[in-house]
Amino acid sequence: MKIKRLDMFQIITLPAVIFVFLLFILMLSVYFYNALPAFFREGLDVYFKNTWQASEIPSKEYYGLAAAIWGTVYSSIIGVLIALPISVAYSIFVIDYAPKKLKNIFIIISDMMAGLPTIIYGIWGAFILVPFLQKYIMIPLYKNLSFIPIFSYPPTTGYSYFSAGVLLGIMITPFASAIIREAYQMVPFTYREAAISLGLTRYEATKILLGYIKPAIVSGMILAFGRAVGETVAVSLVIGNSFNMSVSLFAPGYTISSLIANQFGNAYIYRHMLPVLYAGGLALFIIGLIVNVIGIYLLMRWQKNVRI
Amino acid sequence: MSGYKTRRGKDISFIIGITILTFLGILPLFHIIATVFINGVPIIAKKGISFLTNTLSNGGIGPAIAGTFILIFLSSLIGLPVALLVGIYAYEYPESKIGRATKTLLQIMLEFPTILVGVFVMSMIAIPMGTYSAIAGAFALAIILMPYVAVYTQEAMREIPFTYREASFGLGLSRVKVIFQILVPLSKRGILTGVLIGLAKVAGETAPLLFTVGGLYESYPASITEPVGAIPLLIYTLVQSPSKADHMMAWGASLILLLIFLLIFIPIRLKLREVRL
Repeated sequence: MKIKRLDMFQIITLPAVIFVFLLFILMLSVYFYNALPAFFREGLDVYFKNTWQASEIPSKEYYGLAAAIWGTVYSSIIGVLIALPISVAYSIFVIDYAPKKLKNIFIIISDMMAGLPTIIYGIWGAFILVPFLQKYIMIPLYKNLSFIPIFSYPPTTGYSYFSAGVLLGIMITPFASAIIREAYQMVPFTYREAAISLGLTRYEATKILLGYIKPAIVSGMILAFGRAVGETVAVSLVIGNSFNMSVSLFAPGYTISSLIANQFGNAYIYRHMLPVLYAGGLALFIIGLIVNVIGIYLLMRWQKNVRI
Repeated sequence: MSGYKTRRGKDISFIIGITILTFLGILPLFHIIATVFINGVPIIAKKGISFLTNTLSNGGIGPAIAGTFILIFLSSLIGLPVALLVGIYAYEYPESKIGRATKTLLQIMLEFPTILVGVFVMSMIAIPMGTYSAIAGAFALAIILMPYVAVYTQEAMREIPFTYREASFGLGLSRVKVIFQILVPLSKRGILTGVLIGLAKVAGETAPLLFTVGGLYESYPASITEPVGAIPLLIYTLVQSPSKADHMMAWGASLILLLIFLLIFIPIRLKLREVRL
């Protein structure tokens, strides 16, 4: 192997690149290293047990993250299910039907929604959205359909998986629609012409074109899921923060990130709590990494296929 | 094949459905902005200018505003140089192994749960220093800022026509000169867009500050090695309080934060470019 001579350009830029890579690896190792005591003490119970016994006496302490992991996944899935139809419809509307002048305004609106500080979603969610959902959706559903397990929990406060999921759905929609919109715009014009020349209605033509961008929709949803999983403050203000593991939509729960946000401050009082929180962080880290790598990979592969 | 009438019926309900869903999707933004104004304006009108300058117990959020600006400034100081260099590298070597890995890493960091950055910085800086500090918060925010700016830098530079590159190299300039003196200035508008987007993001972040800056609302920050406050963090604390008066303050602070966000965001959109956050 020949050692390439580094030119001045690489001497300037490469250190920055290496620094960023090292930082990322350092981050992963910090979580792993700090989580180790939890694995030694409790084994896989850390992830698979639903218990949270904080105690002054160290030997009585026992923690399991199952409820938080469940809450993270459950609320994120609700969010994705809400974001999917809206973001697809939004992309179709903006590209096919919005008048040219309005088009830009629609794009600005969704960019603004994507960038809006999450704490503003949080305060709106906690004070406006939760009471609204409780009054107009949760209570009617509970009253009439409480024999169905997912509606069986009495919505006394409104803070629940459902509220968190709806808020997440609102927050990730602009993000998912940006990916889908870009893909939908890339559909070759000849396909559109061909579909229309067959005499298809707009609905039938759109259905065919959507089939063409299906991989992009899938990766948009995966990336949006990744975003929902990591969201912290907005979710922690609406999910109710209780160690609960339930399929019932209206039950309060916890997510990994809101657990870290709430418990980290006082974890130092206890002997064994901190490593468990790091273990939660590690899980979040790895879920985020896997989800994003898959999403990015699918998107890149699709984009490459389209260009050819 | 179904008859013309059913096809037409399906078509019309499709258009109606799409339109309804679209408006359902953007409705929250208008509702959020309206609620923040409706709830925020009265409290600010009541307290007047002192809302922006007083300490929290005197009914103002002055220290939090100061803290947010200090954090924005420090985090750009730390994050921007690294971000620009990384972005330029990713542009220059799009097909090499390191270049591709860099691009993937940037994408991953863009999506990364921000609370993890906060806890990481706490364990690396705040704990060894023995105190929360502005500098720790700035490091956390810099890590979040970096991928935004780097990705936009790379994309802005990719838009320069290839002939400019050829022409510059044709003059016999070195790679450093071609890139830093010709291509970077050519793409400065795109790069600036990226910087502004990064700043807009950083100004509103809460999670990375939870365990790094500590919060300081009763006096103005004096040193970057001491705790500071920030508007988003203050809102988060106030929302969780049971008192109605605190909730009013939270709405007022949200209005200020929204205005800061719009102040950074609107210039981006006036010089229009497709922006993705």
